[in-house]
Amino acid sequence: MTDKTVMVSVTGLTKRYGKASALDDLTFTLGAGEIVALLGPNGAGKTTTFKCLLGVTRFEGSVEVNGVSAREHGKDVRRQIGYLPQTPAFDSGDTCEQVLRFLAEIKGSDPARAGELLQQVHLREQRGVQVGRLSGGMRQRLALAAALLSDPPLLLLDEPTANLDADSRREFHDLLVGLRNEGRTIVLSTHFVDSLSEITDRVIVLKQGKLVLHATMEELQRGKRGRRFLVNVNGTEPGVLLGALEGIGIGAERVTQVNSYLEEMLTAALAAGSLEGDEPK
Amino acid sequence: MSAVAAIMKKEVRDAVSSRWLVLYGFAFALLALGLSYLGQRNLGSVGFENFSRTTASILNLCLMLAPLIALSLGAGSIAGERDRGNLTYLLSQPLSRWELLLGKYVGLVTAISVATIAGFGVAGLVIATFAHSMDASTYVLLLALVVALVAVMTGLGVVASVVSANRVQALGIAMLIWFFAVLFFDLVLIGTVSSTSLGGAGLLTAVMLNPVEIVRILAVIQLEPDLQVLGPFGSYVLETLGTTGATVILSLALAAWVVAPVAAGVWLFHFRDD
Repeated sequence: MTDKTVMVSVTGLTKRYGKASALDDLTFTLGAGEIVALLGPNGAGKTTTFKCLLGVTRFEGSVEVNGVSAREHGKDVRRQIGYLPQTPAFDSGDTCEQVLRFLAEIKGSDPARAGELLQQVHLREQRGVQVGRLSGGMRQRLALAAALLSDPPLLLLDEPTANLDADSRREFHDLLVGLRNEGRTIVLSTHFVDSLSEITDRVIVLKQGKLVLHATMEELQRGKRGRRFLVNVNGTEPGVLLGALEGIGIGAERVTQVNSYLEEMLTAALAAGSLEGDEPK
Repeated sequence: MSAVAAIMKKEVRDAVSSRWLVLYGFAFALLALGLSYLGQRNLGSVGFENFSRTTASILNLCLMLAPLIALSLGAGSIAGERDRGNLTYLLSQPLSRWELLLGKYVGLVTAISVATIAGFGVAGLVIATFAHSMDASTYVLLLALVVALVAVMTGLGVVASVVSANRVQALGIAMLIWFFAVLFFDLVLIGTVSSTSLGGAGLLTAVMLNPVEIVRILAVIQLEPDLQVLGPFGSYVLETLGTTGATVILSLALAAWVVAPVAAGVWLFHFRDD
């Protein structure tokens, strides 16, 4: 990856809360125009990573977004980032349009863009509806519209599909692909990896604040051809497999729905040291 | 529009739609009207002298209620966002921490001041109507003093909000400040004066430690310039400083009280790791 294409550069990123390390020496780079899946169980450090990228928390190491230091120029970095929190906490009494206009004023964006973005996320008819009356999926789309207000080159989406049903999730993924095609870099943390393989360019797996896997989908695909695993489930507790999958952010309820992406997940689980496997002779 | 102005505007909008502030405005107006009515009835048609007395009663009401609402709403400012999980989201926007805090502070002071002025103003109009005469400039000065007190107490509430883990804790700290400044300080002062040889200078210094007392004495200077109501302390102030000197010194102290909590809040918020 040449310097021109680097959107995010993280070197030795460490975040401590007292003596406990929430992030431990993370180093990775993300290219412009990529969709990156940030995987890991609760407490792995996904949200903390986002906070460091946004420059809203203190950290050790270096974080640069589009060549700008998040520590020294946090406000400038945040101008280049659209952030969608796990649970958007807009004031329930505000209408969709009020929410976007308020955020546009903070970002210094054109408030008139609110209408255009509501159209883009299919909420134009709800522009005068109070946030408290929106469904979870609609709130998520409103938050995405808010993230897009300043037309940022980088989007950080924290569990954006966690509360969505399958149809809404697919619809959301389509939106993301459209945004990637506009040249934006999208980093999303998620537990639902099964349908992500189609849209993700890169996968980062965190476990207990450590980076345990960082690979492009191409690299994972190449690894899949060259290496096969025979997972010894029958001889042990089935719970071990489920636990390992949960360890990389895949809930037990998803195991029944895995498809061709199973091998990538197992690769991730093995890399995480959460699962023991034997290669076939 | 700057980020500070955007936050301020939102804060005013939220405050206006808040039932607490509306309730405060109504309660204030009702109590002020009640005091005005009782003052008029008890004092009969003595003329506009009763205006000063009634104004003093309303001022005392202000010194109780305005700090209470200002501290409460200030305490909810940052801690409330933290409780709702919205603080990180706000901080993820292209604005600095000081801009967020200042926007919230100015918005709250504006909203509370408008509600206070509305309540105070209604009472003032009624008194003026019944008393047939009104020293409007004194009334406006008292209003300005109350607004300054609102600014101080909102700032202290914001500081409580910044240092607290949640809204309940912030409200607890705010209520302690209110209890001490409005109710307990006088008792401490009386106890100190009667048990020590504090003297006029010491008493004046002690008064400047409490913005509520500063406002009270500045109001007394406006209402009763001979300061007889303050007893020996009033005589000391008149002899050593005169009313102008006392007004200047106490006004400067009040200005410091307005600035200091906000500055402290900005400084403390900068070092928070929310």
